[in-house]
Amino acid sequence: MLMSKNNIIAFLSIFAFFGLAMYFPFTTPVKINYPKSWPKPVYDFNKNPLTQEGIDLGRKLFYDPILSKDSSISCSNCHLSYTAFTHVDHALSHGVNDSIGTRNSPSLMNLAWHTSFMWDGAVNHLDVQALAPISHPAEMAEDINNVIKKLQNSTSYSGMFYNAFKDSSITGEHLLKAISQFELTLISSNSKYDSVMQKTSSFTPQEENGYKLYKKNCASCHIEPFFTNNQFENNGLFIDSLLNDYGRYGITKNPNDSLKFKVPTLRNIEFSYPYMHDGRFNNLSEVFKHYTKGINKSKTLSTHLKTPIVLSSNEKVDLTAFLLTLTDKNYLFNKNYGFPRALFFSENE
Amino acid sequence: MKFLFVVSCLLNAHILMSQEETSPIQVNISPKISAKDAITIDNLKFYLTNFSLVKSGETVWKETNSYHLIDISKPSSLSFNLATKIDFDEIHFSLGTDSLTNISGAMGGDLDPTKGMYWAWNSGYINFKLEGKSKSTSLEFHLGGYAPPYQTVQKIKLKTTKNDLTIFLNVSEFLNQIDLTKQHKIMSPGKEAQRLSKILSTLFYVNE
Ligand code: HEC
Ligand code: HEC
Repeated sequence: MLMSKNNIIAFLSIFAFFGLAMYFPFTTPVKINYPKSWPKPVYDFNKNPLTQEGIDLGRKLFYDPILSKDSSISCSNCHLSYTAFTHVDHALSHGVNDSIGTRNSPSLMNLAWHTSFMWDGAVNHLDVQALAPISHPAEMAEDINNVIKKLQNSTSYSGMFYNAFKDSSITGEHLLKAISQFELTLISSNSKYDSVMQKTSSFTPQEENGYKLYKKNCASCHIEPFFTNNQFENNGLFIDSLLNDYGRYGITKNPNDSLKFKVPTLRNIEFSYPYMHDGRFNNLSEVFKHYTKGINKSKTLSTHLKTPIVLSSNEKVDLTAFLLTLTDKNYLFNKNYGFPRALFFSENE
Repeated sequence: MKFLFVVSCLLNAHILMSQEETSPIQVNISPKISAKDAITIDNLKFYLTNFSLVKSGETVWKETNSYHLIDISKPSSLSFNLATKIDFDEIHFSLGTDSLTNISGAMGGDLDPTKGMYWAWNSGYINFKLEGKSKSTSLEFHLGGYAPPYQTVQKIKLKTTKNDLTIFLNVSEFLNQIDLTKQHKIMSPGKEAQRLSKILSTLFYVNE
């Protein structure tokens, strides 16, 4: 019997690695702020403690086209900060590969409370989400390794990685965790709705009536305070025969999941048009028309929509007034979220 | 099980089971491919995880952070140490990663997503990857999946008292059990990935 034997003892290098990895003397810890009434985040911050250095690095990566194959597209091309990190005016996001091009880019906010990512929940953790846009499904390994090679050739990046993780050899883990760190800071909790809930402001009678209508008709799926139940539901859209997107079914292969999509938040809905997974509706009145007149009664239709929603035209106006109270200028125009000019132009390479 | 002879694919993962140099226990992991299969293997990688040692039915030792990516093209991946020195009569481990690992976000070391063992568009680890060619077709088996009902991680228990043991994986037999004219490409979790993972789990054995 042929048999060769190799004994490689890696103790020393392993100890050295952990010794370094656990040594964070110069990082600046950051805590996210959110209303006291909110539940605890789903994201496990112990596994990726936020630091200013990590957030800065993640922010730079988010805005850097170096992450795309031909260095042409950054995350921010499809997720713009002043439009709730979505791609307005594009029903289907334009970008690097077919997988992306079949869906509308969702807004990015309050990600620490998400239990799954993508319209069909294809991604199970924020950290690994970025692998999807920066790689092709069949050739994933090649691509992320290329990205890492490109980053390793940049002295400013190896410095930033060192500052954030005390490890200048850039790893996939640290790349992804840095992007997560920035994304985790994208919190929207300062809308008029929030101040009404905190009793520092009050609804107009119209908004108040809209709030009631929302509670009656929409709150079963778009639950407060995140305006989503984090579940997959069929909200009665007819299938687009060109895209043939069956949503959650594609992931679970369970027929009961056919045509189910993740319930999106309604926060900052004023800015995140066009609406739905394929961006088929351009404005809220089309959305209301769908919920009142356009429901496709297919097998998997959510039980919450089995009885038709009725809204008079006045009620639609009131509901709209309420939905506009979910606009959060603090989030939309937050200077900490925008293009990090200083992080790019201090670079001399 | 008879082998005609072993082609190039002989992996040896030596597990030194002692920090003291005095009584190391070695485990060699050895995928075998017989020449008559006329199969070329370009890529063979899999996770072996959760190593533990059992004596008289009781777990006497468990490896912490027990993740080993075995990669036929990387001799260094075939050699690792289990830091213990203990009497045992069974070695237990899993083929693949457990569900907690699959939902815990970005991890480092052998679990780093740069290792080519992670699905970007349907989160989760590829537990076993075999790519190559047979006479008639290309082979692409990416087996993984942690979500019920299609979990693919497999527990493997082998009886042995040896301090120097080789664990074989009979890759030829795996390919024999699949009708390659019908099934030569699996790229996502599901029934088939689960079925093939179960077959693989029966094809580990120890030299005695
Ligand atoms: C070409 C456009 C495009 C680019 C570039 C892009 N995204 Fe996206 N993003 C999308 C689309 C479309 C979706 C929804 C995909 C789906 O449901 O299948 C999405 C989904 C997401 C989600 C999930 C949000 C949720 O609520 O489920 C996050 C987080 C995200 N993107 C972050 C990023 C990051 C980080 C980058 C850069 C590494 C990036 N995106 C680059 C278009 C893009
Ligand atoms: C059965 C659960 C359910 C109910 C009830 C429901 N929705 Fe939705 N809503 C969804 C789902 C699921 C989607 C995403 C569907 C898709 O894109 O395929 C969605 C999408 C939306 C969107 C688009 C958001 C975006 O970013 O694209 C808006 C706006 C919306 N709903 C408003 C409402 C309003 C207003 C009501 C009440 C009149 C309501 N919804 C009731 C489940 C529901």
